[in-house]
Amino acid sequence: MTDLSQAQTTSSQGFIRTFRALIIVLAVAGLAFWVYQNAVQPEADKPFKLGLDLAGGSYLIYEADVSKVDKAEVPELMNVLRTVIEKRVNSLGVEENVVYLEQSSFVTDEPIERLVVELPGVTNISEAVAEIGSTPTLEFKLYDEELAAKQETLQNLGSLTANASGSKAEIGNVKINGEAVSQELPFKDTGLTGRYLESAALEFAGGNSGQLSNEPLVSVRFTQEGAELFAEITRNNVNRQLGIFLDGEMISAPNINEPIAGGTAVISGGFSAEEAKELAQNLNFGALPVPIELQSTQSIGASLGAEVLDKGVKAGLFGFGIVMLFMLLWYRLPGLVAGIALLSYVTIMLALFQFIPVTLTAAGLAGFVLSLGMAVDANVLVFERMKEEYKNGASSREAAIVGFSRAWSAIRDGNVTSILSAIVLFWLGTSMVKGFALVFGIGVIMSMLSALVITRTLLIALPDTKKSSGTLLATLFGNGLKK
Amino acid sequence: MFLIANKKILLAITLFVMVASTTIIATLGLNLGIDFTGGSLTEVSYQSAPDKSDVEDIVNTQDLGGISVRKSVDETGRDAFLVQTRDLSEPERMELNTAVTSLGEGGDVVRFTSVGPVIGQELKDKAIYALLAVVLIIVSYVAFAFRGIGTPVSSWVYGAITIFSLVHDVLIATALMSVLGYVAAIEVDVLFVMALLAILGYSVNDTIVVFDRVRENLMANRTEKRTKREDAGIAYEEVEYSLTKPYGEIVGASIKDTLARSINTSMTTFVALAALYFIGSDATQTFALILMVGVFFGTYSSICIASPLVVIYSEWRNKKTAVK
Repeated sequence: MTDLSQAQTTSSQGFIRTFRALIIVLAVAGLAFWVYQNAVQPEADKPFKLGLDLAGGSYLIYEADVSKVDKAEVPELMNVLRTVIEKRVNSLGVEENVVYLEQSSFVTDEPIERLVVELPGVTNISEAVAEIGSTPTLEFKLYDEELAAKQETLQNLGSLTANASGSKAEIGNVKINGEAVSQELPFKDTGLTGRYLESAALEFAGGNSGQLSNEPLVSVRFTQEGAELFAEITRNNVNRQLGIFLDGEMISAPNINEPIAGGTAVISGGFSAEEAKELAQNLNFGALPVPIELQSTQSIGASLGAEVLDKGVKAGLFGFGIVMLFMLLWYRLPGLVAGIALLSYVTIMLALFQFIPVTLTAAGLAGFVLSLGMAVDANVLVFERMKEEYKNGASSREAAIVGFSRAWSAIRDGNVTSILSAIVLFWLGTSMVKGFALVFGIGVIMSMLSALVITRTLLIALPDTKKSSGTLLATLFGNGLKK
Repeated sequence: MFLIANKKILLAITLFVMVASTTIIATLGLNLGIDFTGGSLTEVSYQSAPDKSDVEDIVNTQDLGGISVRKSVDETGRDAFLVQTRDLSEPERMELNTAVTSLGEGGDVVRFTSVGPVIGQELKDKAIYALLAVVLIIVSYVAFAFRGIGTPVSSWVYGAITIFSLVHDVLIATALMSVLGYVAAIEVDVLFVMALLAILGYSVNDTIVVFDRVRENLMANRTEKRTKREDAGIAYEEVEYSLTKPYGEIVGASIKDTLARSINTSMTTFVALAALYFIGSDATQTFALILMVGVFFGTYSSICIASPLVVIYSEWRNKKTAVK
């Protein structure tokens, strides 16, 4: 009942009410100015962040093949991958490019590791794809005698059968002791890959240890961890072959003559000087820790994006105008207050878009326009409650206060379900859906707040009147088509 | 109340609409876009566009599997073609680009999307999970929020009936999409799933507002009878409520009380969406249309389906207890 006593006017209370209303209006106006400044100034700290479908640009989604590595290592490897690709993409000179990791949600059986590259303003993606594609995978593998022996047995078997039947036999599917024999080169993983690389350089052979004099070579330097691993491998496998694989192809398989502790290795593969230089360069950008494959691409021309943005903004302005007009005509003075609350809602939302920042997409804009229509709902609920009280003889201010307290349960229950749906969307969604869910979720919360705080404060600050007084002010508090 | 008096007719109409919508969806199917099926879509616009058959021929020479070429107009109003193929590798994409821009005059690929089949399938699963999760949350929340409502219908019934009217709205929206896919070759994309989820949220909001009023009116129109009882030495009080008015009358009054609000809110939402449909980008036009239909039926279902249905349920239960 404390609320009701507020309705009895004393001059100091009246002053406080007007003062509060004034503060809110000024605060919103200040915020609006800030939003405007950020939107128009080219060097603003917090400009609107436009998604690629509005700004124009390309998305590339790569899938990483992590089937061959330890599961526990995957997050780290993916981070290495991201850094490597980031360096690559930066070398293209694209401004504000974004490289991030994404994991498939639980709906797939095995989690799929993805890498997303966003290139604002780039629609000719071939250069980017080529650049990323030229990132090598470097692996050091040990000769696998067991597998080699099996393959040899099969080979012999194959030629035997071929001799017997007079035709070449298929050896791909032959099994030994029920186990399929791999037809790949007989080398097994050592765990030593390009991720342990510190640097690479072009060198020319000095002519010693059986190398051709002046043959172009690529020397690689391992990181601390890589050097230890390399030392361990060479120590345990003296007199075995260590295959060096580039992008899955073996380029050389030198013999391990002695343990190598220094943390450097030399790759020789009959390179021309040009090839060796390019390889060293590519390796310096970083080698891929796991192979990746381009899964999806999307690119949108800048002019097209600008048009989508322009139309979306126009639709927003138009929708805003009609909703304001409707509220004003139907609910008169309270409708005007709802209009101010809606204006505040738009201002606050735009400020949040800049501040968080929320990446605006076509879908996000659509969600925002939708929210304009729904945002006045809490106001409508309150005004309808107010109407009943006002008709039954309560003063306009009493009616407003009672209206808010009665409408609260409906506003709360209706909005909580919307917020929960937004959370589900955000949790499950791809980046596009997430943008929509974020706009929708924040919109619901902010529209509720704008009604409960702004509409309420302004409404209570209005001069009090009674329907029975029959004045112009009393009519302004009425609604609908009747006087 | 007129609607409560004619509740059986309303239920019959509802069931008919639901069966009809399901039949439409089952026969026409949904025209799933590349977001879900995987594949590529190239939008190429021209200053002076070539013939559609020329575009088809040149794309066909490239061995990209089953292709489809559709004439369209791009956002800036230029003549354009939408070329759909299986998902493309980078060299294939470049070849296609060169091919389609070599035709006509001022050819420019303004939009290109290629989706791998794995991502498409994942999105399809995600969409279904999201819809189910939202429905589950809504029924639980409604049951929770209305837990005190007790007599004569339990809060779970309000939850279940909310879901029933949601299914009605979603079926209509999906049937419309099915027809649009059949008649105008409009494809189901991620935006459609978002529209469905937004319809769920909107429609449940509408239904909750009516039920909230039912709750309030039930509290105002009941008398309580307290009886002191004792069981195994522990004394307790049993409270029994009885309504001073028939349940149907209370629900009818609640619909009437909230009618102006329901109509006004759907009006404002509807006009905002209409602005999006007529002025907004082509990319969100179908989204706006589906939502407009959803908003209309969301309001309709909360007034003409959900509320009459709780009355039908309470009368059916009364009859059942009377027979016992």
